[in-house]
Amino acid sequence: MIEDIVLLSRLQFAITVFFHFIFVPLTIGIGIIVASFEVKYWKTRQEKWKKLAQFWGNLFKINFAFGIVTGFAMTFQFGTNWGRYAEFMGDVFASPLALEALIAFFLEATFFGIWLFTSHRKPALKAISMVLVSIGTMISAVWIITANAFMQHPVGYTLAEDGSRVILTDFVALITNPYMFYMLIHTLLACFLLGAFFMIAVSGYHLLKKSNVDIYRTSMKIGICVLIITALLLPAQGMLYGHFVSQVQPVKASAMESVWESGSELPLYLIAFPSDSQERNLVQAIGIPYLGSFLLTGDPRGEVTGLNDVDPADRPPVAITFYSFRIMLLLGVLFILQALAGLYLLRKDPSMESPKARKYMKLMICSIPLPYVAIMLGWVVAEVGRQPWIVYGLFRTSDAISTVPAIQIIFSMGLLILFYLLLFCLFLYLLRKAIIAGPVVKEY
Amino acid sequence: MLNYELLINIWFVLWCVIWAIYLVADSFPLGAGMLAAFLPKNMAQTIQAAKSVGPFWGGNQVWIILAAGGTFAAFPLIFSKMFTFLYIPMMLLLIGIIMRGVCIELIYQDENRELQKIFRYGWAIGSLIITAVLGVAFSNFFRGLVINANYVYEGTLLGLFNPHALLGALLFVLFFLTSGALWVAHKTSGELSVKCKSLAKKTSIGVAVAALIYIIGLFNTDGFAVNYNAYPILYAIPLIAVIFALACIVLAVKKSNRPFFAFLANLGTIFFGAATGVVTLYPHILKSSINPEYGVSIFDAASSELTLTLMFYAALVFVPIVLIYQLWSYTKFKEKIPENA
Repeated sequence: MIEDIVLLSRLQFAITVFFHFIFVPLTIGIGIIVASFEVKYWKTRQEKWKKLAQFWGNLFKINFAFGIVTGFAMTFQFGTNWGRYAEFMGDVFASPLALEALIAFFLEATFFGIWLFTSHRKPALKAISMVLVSIGTMISAVWIITANAFMQHPVGYTLAEDGSRVILTDFVALITNPYMFYMLIHTLLACFLLGAFFMIAVSGYHLLKKSNVDIYRTSMKIGICVLIITALLLPAQGMLYGHFVSQVQPVKASAMESVWESGSELPLYLIAFPSDSQERNLVQAIGIPYLGSFLLTGDPRGEVTGLNDVDPADRPPVAITFYSFRIMLLLGVLFILQALAGLYLLRKDPSMESPKARKYMKLMICSIPLPYVAIMLGWVVAEVGRQPWIVYGLFRTSDAISTVPAIQIIFSMGLLILFYLLLFCLFLYLLRKAIIAGPVVKEY
Repeated sequence: MLNYELLINIWFVLWCVIWAIYLVADSFPLGAGMLAAFLPKNMAQTIQAAKSVGPFWGGNQVWIILAAGGTFAAFPLIFSKMFTFLYIPMMLLLIGIIMRGVCIELIYQDENRELQKIFRYGWAIGSLIITAVLGVAFSNFFRGLVINANYVYEGTLLGLFNPHALLGALLFVLFFLTSGALWVAHKTSGELSVKCKSLAKKTSIGVAVAALIYIIGLFNTDGFAVNYNAYPILYAIPLIAVIFALACIVLAVKKSNRPFFAFLANLGTIFFGAATGVVTLYPHILKSSINPEYGVSIFDAASSELTLTLMFYAALVFVPIVLIYQLWSYTKFKEKIPENA
């Protein structure tokens, strides 16, 4: 019975958080670009920048409308479904959440309202408001990732005498948690990459139709520049992040690479099929010497603890963690290739009218879901890889739930799924329509 | 430095103030949403109503996240129990919040008639759900929940929707409708403004009647008046609420050409009305209707001294900043909204 409630609660949280995260990366990723367009228009008063700001601002708005309110679901669930977690963690975990509301949410929400209802006849107010919205979205990321980093790598706390809860002892340690910096930079880069990807695809759609080419050439160029930078930085920064993970969460790191037997000078197997039940890789082939050790520890001869030296009760689901990580890496490589191809085509012919460029743009339109998938998989690695702990090494997920009748969870989850499906269709319909309409946007 | 006990008491006051600010701040966006279901005669007037709260509702709504986040940070045990005991109402609240937020933001987005109609009623129903659930939840807090000695809720789901809680929901609806009608009347011109003024006259009187029955019911509930009897000075709070309520009726009826003053009076009623209820919660927030001893006390639920201190100073710095820029934002949208803007 308790297992059912744990599973249901996890499922419900996963559904709501993934649904919310459909909207978050684009909000962060193109928010900053819309803000730049607004500032550019304010400074130059050229029609082109206004049109860019209006078009991308309109897409930003649709995305933001869904993103903000779906974020409520998580705050609510900490109380409704994860009551024991809330009691155990409240002293440390809730301050970042409250500070997020106080410092970031008010800023984004208030100035989003001002930005939306200010016409371009007042470009200064419009631009400054959008800049503040964009800053707000990023401050918000800092606080929520501070909270999440504590779950991954608890710092600045002590356990209460009876072990019933954690108590904050060092606030500075909490907000300078090294895990937070790795995770924050990784997440922000991923959001910018997704924003760039989205810009390339949408600009490509209009360039293929040859509508408003002057505007969409500009956004295409910006998209490709941002994409090349982020696509190259992400794996480099990700590797350092991985080294840090293997220091503080060695079991997660071993699961990411599916290393069952301890050892040093480990190869990286390009092909591997882990099996949780048999506690080994069913198949592993094409090993690249030293690369496994190097990716996990930064040292080709680095020592890695295998999963078989870890109590099965302390292991995460290996296959899910491994495949998610692998596919994310492959997508990362693909993004670099796509970025390089874009850069090459753009330098050869900035008008993007060659047959090759047209093919490229079609490919990018089809690839739109990929950065979303990569980001979701990254979160799976981070959160499923953390299991069976909800707070790494301190508190187990199975101990963290509220005792709510299972039927109530099933009822609420059914309602949410139905509701979210409707919302998602609405989102796609409105976004698609706004993209096709192009830069003819009415102002309030 | 502040001592721990004082800090906990300060946080109780902050908790009350933040919730009261939320109820005031969201009362008119929610009220405008509910009246949008029946008052505007066409889409142009619906959009007029939406625009009257358009720039403000989002920022105002954040107060509920701060209220929830503040409860979580200051009193984790109360946060956990509050949301667990009220599981289904909270899920309904969540759905209401999402529905309202998406619909009001996108109502101007699309020319499609059918879709606009969906947004209009989604906005209205979402607003109604939020308002009603808040009414039910606060009524249950004021009356006390069936909590046993081990902090377990022994009541039923249906028990949360008892007649008094339903009356609370009706009271909240009337309060917020008055708020919304007076705000829309103030911000718009033309037929909609006239209709809102006449609605506000009726609902402000409705508020007085419903509030009277509601409050008599509360004072007849065991344990509700304990703090009032211990500190009779507290009776000043409901008294101020009554004065604001009467002022609101008088202003709504006599000065209906200047609805802004009646609007302010109604906000005053909401603020002090909320205060009338929450002062009775001390020191529990979650009172038990079985035995006063079983309630979840703020002293058992409080976070550590360090967390309370940090969050207190953060609130001291940022709450005024937020209030300043939110109030400033109202000065940026002063023109009355005509029907075909």
